[in-house]
Amino acid sequence: MRRLLSTALVGTLALAAPFTPTAALAEEINVVMFGMPYTNGLRDLADEFEAETGIKANIDVIGQDVFENRITLSFTGGTGDIDVVHTPVIQVQRWIQAGWLQPVTDLVSDEVTSDILAGPLGAYDVNGEQWALPFFAGVGLMSYREDLLEAAGVDVPETWEDMLEVSAAITTDDQAAIALRAVPGQGFNMFIFPMVMRAYGGTFFADYEGGDLTPAINSPENIEALNIYIELINEYGPAGAGNFNFAEVNAAAKNGQIAFAVEGTGIISQIVDPEQSQFADVTGIALPPGGPAGRSPAIGVHGMGIPASATNPEAAAQFIEWAVSAETVSKIALAQSFPDFTTASVAENADVVAKYAAIHPDFLSTRVAALDLAIGHYRPLIPEWPALGQAIGESVNAAINGLMTPEEALEQAEADMRDILGQ
Amino acid sequence: MIDNSTEFRIKRGFGLTMMIALLMFAAIPTLWVLILSLRTPLAIFEPIWESPFALTLDNFFKITRSDFPSALLNSFVTAGLSTVFAMIVGVPAGFALAKARMSGKFVASWILLLLRMAPPVGFVIPLFLLYANAGLVDTYTGLVFAYMTLTLPLVTWSMWNSFAQIPDELIEAAIMDDASLPKAFLLIALPAARPGVVAAAILAFLVAWNDFFYALIITRSDTATAPVAVMNFISYDSVDWASIAVASIALTLPILPLMAIANRYIVQSLSGAVKG
Amino acid sequence: MADLTISRRGATYELQRGYRMMMVPAVLAVGIFAIVPLAGMLGLAFSDYHLIRGTDWDFGFHNFAKMVSDRRLLNSIYVMAALSFFGVAAQVIIGSAIAVGLQKITGKWRVGRVLFLLPYAVPHVAVALVWLSLFTPTLSPINAFFDLFGITVPAFLTSQSGAIFAIVIADTWATFPFAMLIIMAALQGISPDLEEAAAIDGATRIKTFIFITLPLLAPALLMVTLFRFIDSLKHFPLIFVMTKGGPGRSTQATNFYSYVQTFQNSNVAYGAAVAAVLFLMAALISYYVAKLNQRVTS
Repeated sequence: MRRLLSTALVGTLALAAPFTPTAALAEEINVVMFGMPYTNGLRDLADEFEAETGIKANIDVIGQDVFENRITLSFTGGTGDIDVVHTPVIQVQRWIQAGWLQPVTDLVSDEVTSDILAGPLGAYDVNGEQWALPFFAGVGLMSYREDLLEAAGVDVPETWEDMLEVSAAITTDDQAAIALRAVPGQGFNMFIFPMVMRAYGGTFFADYEGGDLTPAINSPENIEALNIYIELINEYGPAGAGNFNFAEVNAAAKNGQIAFAVEGTGIISQIVDPEQSQFADVTGIALPPGGPAGRSPAIGVHGMGIPASATNPEAAAQFIEWAVSAETVSKIALAQSFPDFTTASVAENADVVAKYAAIHPDFLSTRVAALDLAIGHYRPLIPEWPALGQAIGESVNAAINGLMTPEEALEQAEADMRDILGQ
Repeated sequence: MIDNSTEFRIKRGFGLTMMIALLMFAAIPTLWVLILSLRTPLAIFEPIWESPFALTLDNFFKITRSDFPSALLNSFVTAGLSTVFAMIVGVPAGFALAKARMSGKFVASWILLLLRMAPPVGFVIPLFLLYANAGLVDTYTGLVFAYMTLTLPLVTWSMWNSFAQIPDELIEAAIMDDASLPKAFLLIALPAARPGVVAAAILAFLVAWNDFFYALIITRSDTATAPVAVMNFISYDSVDWASIAVASIALTLPILPLMAIANRYIVQSLSGAVKG
Repeated sequence: MADLTISRRGATYELQRGYRMMMVPAVLAVGIFAIVPLAGMLGLAFSDYHLIRGTDWDFGFHNFAKMVSDRRLLNSIYVMAALSFFGVAAQVIIGSAIAVGLQKITGKWRVGRVLFLLPYAVPHVAVALVWLSLFTPTLSPINAFFDLFGITVPAFLTSQSGAIFAIVIADTWATFPFAMLIIMAALQGISPDLEEAAAIDGATRIKTFIFITLPLLAPALLMVTLFRFIDSLKHFPLIFVMTKGGPGRSTQATNFYSYVQTFQNSNVAYGAAVAAVLFLMAALISYYVAKLNQRVTS
């Protein structure tokens, strides 16, 4: 029986080997990315890359879920049909451990890397090797309705405590105050909730930076943070806020149903875009609220890496260098809604600055301030994070929707963490 | 006998109300999708009565410039081909299941359901590896093959039921008259089961049309079908509601000519054919 | 006389062989295609293949042993049972009701039948998004409509039973046409003479329906239930888009849980094991329903 089963498994895995990709001949590379303003803009510039280098880049921009599926299959099967892959920093550790990426340390020039913001660049430095170059660093920001705040006679809250008071003042039967992501998932509620956690000094592990990965999520600080999160969503959020994801927060803001949205820059920039939101011109931008332990804005970094099974890493590296170059990034920043660039010199580009100042005067400066405050391991950069984030997110969501108390939720979260880490 | 009593009237009224309620259930979401597809971005979720004129055709134009039309074509081709093959192989199989007296009948019908019973998540990797190795990734052939595992069981089982309703004597009489089995099948059984054949074809087409899972695994940029293309409207930080709504409308449109063709072949009553 | 019987028996043998040949292509096509994926799935289920940690080629029942104490799995089975039971029941009942109702409609109104088919053509991702927006109070026109009269429609997606209800409704809307089509075809195979005969014998419409029509519809009903049940075990897009398994884990059906294990936890082997268990359940239940179907159609 054992022989039969292992034969079955070996048989199917062995099917992976003989497949040979065809991108080797005429210099052609396949780039796979998921949809965001930068990647859409990059795709539009594919011809320029060919003109510059003679290499034809087939850029596929697909939905994020389609993307996850595709790369998992391609990497597991070693099919070698992808040369450049969109690499979110939250996944890079996992992919490295699975052997899915090859380092780009020797393939990219110092000239290019010196122009990239140190923080995001460093996030892709694992064990001394550079595994990808970043092109995007989105941060958590807060948007607020100036008119609603004025009408209620309150100021922009600096702390989450303030937020509770201000929300109470603004909330009426017809108007909700705030919407936050609640849906379970490491990229959903676990992108926003850690902002509150860290503001109160809560952490995931006993001593992450020191290497002690004992789960420490069931702490008084985290319970306090969770209680605040629950109160904001249930008392001061719109109906059904317990199932909100970024799309619903976005829609609620655009419909004028909420006064505050604490979200990633991608969403915030849509909220202040007059072509997308009726309330854009009365919306202000600020740093997300802080707490006793300070402010810890969310951060999500995306970059481009080279799969281990890629057949033409040199051409792939050329593409990556071109894609994060100041020239390309500036063009995209001007053509798309893309203020989250990580190529430093673009911030001095007068046209770019002017464009985003026109959208909202505080936009770029607030973003930079948030970037400075954000810590690299806002969400722990370990291979098990996606699994951890999913489990914790489920417990947090259960607490939000009253299926369990905050204490029970964090207990369950800690038990799940131990389970996943094999402790 | 015509029954005009109040009891009958009440039952009739009840039946009518129920049908109207069910019609509303089926139609209101469709209407909502239609409205969504015509809304300007600023007013997309505003109730229609608050801004009845914030409508635009831009969403439709936008979608013609995206990859969606080619995905629509891919859906059409693959669903159509797999339906044709499923009918060619499945209708005779259904006939055999209905009329044959063989011992393997039960096992055979059960095998047809085999792959359908397994949750996709379980066999996604082996399936992909099989396809990658056979060079069938991102090809029409590959997708049609995969769809057959969905459409074939459906057609076979459906025709089993339809043919079972035709009395055995009819077939046996034809055979006695020295007709061969194929002839009896084509000239007697098939016409008698016409509504079933049409229903099976429509269903097979729709099942393949609707499939998301196999398309996700097997297709890439060349052969992506509509359900996968719709997923591409969900990006990292936005959901393109309008385009999704337009895509949904576009995907229901082929049903109309399909039903028009089908209507001609569905006969209301078969008393003549069955009685013989 | 003897000659005739021999030739009749010979003809019957030929007949049966002919039937067998008609069946073979279908069984072969599906059977062959199903072998590799299923074998792979079973192989994985007994292995310890992990996306990140690789594999130690350690085969055994450890995945299945782990399942026994996995409370998340147990929860997922309850969820799946609820979704399957209510979902399939709703689809069959509504689909049949509409099929029966449409039978009575003749003439120019027949063109309206198309309206009932449309939901089935919409891809499940779009269905999920549409119903997500319909069930989200801040976005839904239904809420806005009832607000005009001062009635607040509750938020379904944030409570356990509400979320399951919402998914069942969305699922039924998208798939009732399946049942409708099959029952419609079956209804048209029933000779109206039977109904007339019953009416002449003094039976009421209801009695005719229960004692004559329903038994004749039994094979079709069984088939619909079987297919829809098997499909309901694979619930995914609706859950993923509408609730992501929430609130908490209360809509995390078993297939969704298998996805979480495979793609989020990278535990491909365990995910495959869960899938294998689902497969077994489907196989067992379909065995009995198929046996029933066979008895009824003979």
